Amino acid sequence: MEKIKHLYGRAGFGLSVGEWEQKRNLSVSQAVNELFSKALATPPLSPPATANVEGFLQMSEMDKAETRKKERRLVVLQSAAWIKRMSDASESPLLERMTLFWHGHFACQSKTSVMASNQLNTIRKHALGNFRELVLAIAKDPSMIRFLNNQQNRKQKPNENFARELMELFTIGRGNYTEKDIKEAARAFTGWSSTARGEYIFRARVHDYGTKTFFGQSGRFDGTDIIDMILEKKQTAEFITRKIYRYFVNEQINEAHVQQLANSFYSSNYDIGKLMRQIFLSDWFYEASNRGSKIKSPVDLMAGMIKNLQIEFENELALVFLQKSLGQSLFNPPNVAGWPGSRSWVDNSTLMIRLNLPAFLLNSKEVNFKLKEEFEAKRQNKITRRLNANLDLTPIIAQVQGKDIEAQVKYLSDYLLPNSGKIPMPLFKRITRGKSAEDTTKLVLLGIMSLPEYQMC
Amino acid sequence: MKRRSFLQKSAMASTSILVPAFLKAYQPENLFNSRSGKILVIVQLSGGNDGLNTVIPYRNDIYYQQRPTLAVQKSEVLQVSDQLGLNPVLSPLQSLYDDGLLSIVNNVGYPNPDRSHFRSMDIWHTASESNEYLSTGWLGRYLDSSCQGCEAAHHALEVDDELSLALKGQQKKGFAMSNPQQLKRQTNNPLLKHLAAQDHHDHEENVAYLYKIMADTYSSADYLSEKAKTYSSKMTYPPSAFGKRLKQVAELISADTDTRIYYVSLSGFDTHVNQKSQQERLLKQYAEGMSAFVKDLKQNRLLDDTLIMTFSEFGRRVKQNASRGTDHGTANNLFLIGGKLKRPGFFNEGPNLSTLDKGDLIYKVDFRDIYATILDKWLEGNSKQILNKSFRGLNLV
Repeated sequence: MEKIKHLYGRAGFGLSVGEWEQKRNLSVSQAVNELFSKALATPPLSPPATANVEGFLQMSEMDKAETRKKERRLVVLQSAAWIKRMSDASESPLLERMTLFWHGHFACQSKTSVMASNQLNTIRKHALGNFRELVLAIAKDPSMIRFLNNQQNRKQKPNENFARELMELFTIGRGNYTEKDIKEAARAFTGWSSTARGEYIFRARVHDYGTKTFFGQSGRFDGTDIIDMILEKKQTAEFITRKIYRYFVNEQINEAHVQQLANSFYSSNYDIGKLMRQIFLSDWFYEASNRGSKIKSPVDLMAGMIKNLQIEFENELALVFLQKSLGQSLFNPPNVAGWPGSRSWVDNSTLMIRLNLPAFLLNSKEVNFKLKEEFEAKRQNKITRRLNANLDLTPIIAQVQGKDIEAQVKYLSDYLLPNSGKIPMPLFKRITRGKSAEDTTKLVLLGIMSLPEYQMC
Repeated sequence: MKRRSFLQKSAMASTSILVPAFLKAYQPENLFNSRSGKILVIVQLSGGNDGLNTVIPYRNDIYYQQRPTLAVQKSEVLQVSDQLGLNPVLSPLQSLYDDGLLSIVNNVGYPNPDRSHFRSMDIWHTASESNEYLSTGWLGRYLDSSCQGCEAAHHALEVDDELSLALKGQQKKGFAMSNPQQLKRQTNNPLLKHLAAQDHHDHEENVAYLYKIMADTYSSADYLSEKAKTYSSKMTYPPSAFGKRLKQVAELISADTDTRIYYVSLSGFDTHVNQKSQQERLLKQYAEGMSAFVKDLKQNRLLDDTLIMTFSEFGRRVKQNASRGTDHGTANNLFLIGGKLKRPGFFNEGPNLSTLDKGDLIYKVDFRDIYATILDKWLEGNSKQILNKSFRGLNLV
């Protein structure tokens, strides 16, 4: 039971109480199989309606600003839709989780909603597939090309930005290449560009067809060759495995486990699905030291709460406001290094919002928090501070109905907390004294979700 | 109340944490001492303030050629020096300039400038190279390296609901609070209050970390809301949010709060369209705010212990654009205000408008040299360790 909770916390975004009842007695291998088959059976997302960015360059500054604003709005709406997808029982939690991981790994800010959605589909397609295919697809992704200035990477004037991040952050990591390798790799990616409409295009006229010397070998390499040569190095498998381990298992690395995983990842030719299966099926993944050791990211927290409380927001912008105020806005990572995660999610301000969030939701109170102002001229903060959330607590109430308070606390902390936590029972008893059955359950629920332990998974 | 009995009373209250700093200064034993710690106040102008319309090269023809409708006319400029002058809306700053309380450093920037707000702001916050990504800020790393013994979570305080990257270290972080009442409301939850008072040492490491932040938040909330009641400023600040925040800082400093770093922002400087009214409205707010703030501190004999640094993530393009605005640029001026400036007035020459890099000013002073100076000379930190590199620093404070 603890194992199932751990698996769904890490490979997905937790469970609704209905799912919990359904799955808590599954064996690990049953649950893992279910997660993978659902992920593989999930179709791609349908692309959003094309926004009007035709003729952007000819627009006046005013119209440009207006268009940018429209596009930004479409992108933030996509981010809200994505969080809903993560918590939607009919979607694949594993696929969304893997996509979120790679979204943070190939961190990129998207300027238009079409580019954001195309990139997301590209990542989804390869999220559990082959890492080489994924890297290659990202190298040809218009949003990334623009974000890392590869459309300015031309034979006459190479731009090293993409080549540098490809090696430093996306594949092999620092210390495994020289500045010269970056320069030569940049030459190989010249001409990998994107059209004004946001489609990939290879511009042969600006591509450098000359001989490059990369990792000590010389040849007329292009970008694909460079990616292959990087992946040929085992350090790449180690670098990626280590990052996956930190994210899915524990920030504290167990070198033996990582080496073992990296070896199989490398010999499987970078099969991501296989690597993830190996992790989720290993005994050590479920050890007590790995359970409940991770601070939920804001997105984990939101998606999980939606599942737990069956939340429908009247205004989708509530999810945009929460992303911003908790410090993780999808499609808008702080920089190409992605979200640093872990303890950096939490400071006095974000922690107080996190801990008060259940109360804001259950009591539909206004959130005590104002976002920082934008860089541009001051305008009305349209994003709602009142969350206007409709909760459906009937499934939870059905499970604990008629139980005494201790049994309710036991049931709900088993369901909601990674390691059932230290519950201040006398306090729970005090605050529920004389309350109706429904209010008692509500208060117990609120109490458990307000514990710092609920922030963990 | 007679002055004598007033002094007696305040001397009697000297054991209380609630005695304002300026009263302490009147107590016999403290008469000749300034307060033990120096105060640093950072003012961030977000959006990229147009430095060329802030400090105006009013004798430079290129300036007028490049900005046919946006330039401030020579006759309107506050001509504080023979080459450079101030935008007329900055007139409240002129007396600071005249009294030697303002240093203006020109051409501040960094190599390979980035013209994205977010990225450039990150670079200023983390003090990184422009191709390096750090997840900790320069003041956060100061807390990590030089402030291991500082118990109070509010040692570095941002007057805002959100904590900026600049104040986030690896182990230690600054504290965000837009005002004490708001903080009190945040900490009103009875369940959390109960939990915050519990012992949390036997939890798993990360859980214990959350409990600690929660407990610290509660004790800072109590402390700060008490302190905020200690001293109420009589000075008139601009009625904007920025003015209120500065007033809050002045009150906390005057109440001898054990906060040494304050962080305040003023937003809206991204003036691509119809710049003049927008920028001047903000600069006016800034100047009026700073002027009141300085008077407030001076009156309480605290200006010598305070250094205020004002920066923006970048300046703007020399040439105005087609929408009577300016686009993102590079190097910019930076203001230091305080009672202990080594070189008040203009620290260095104004910008060179004839040698540009793609239409943008070329930096001469690396902002990290200013940080290094502040860290070493003002905060008694170790800039080399904090900035991961050795900067020589400048003769500023």
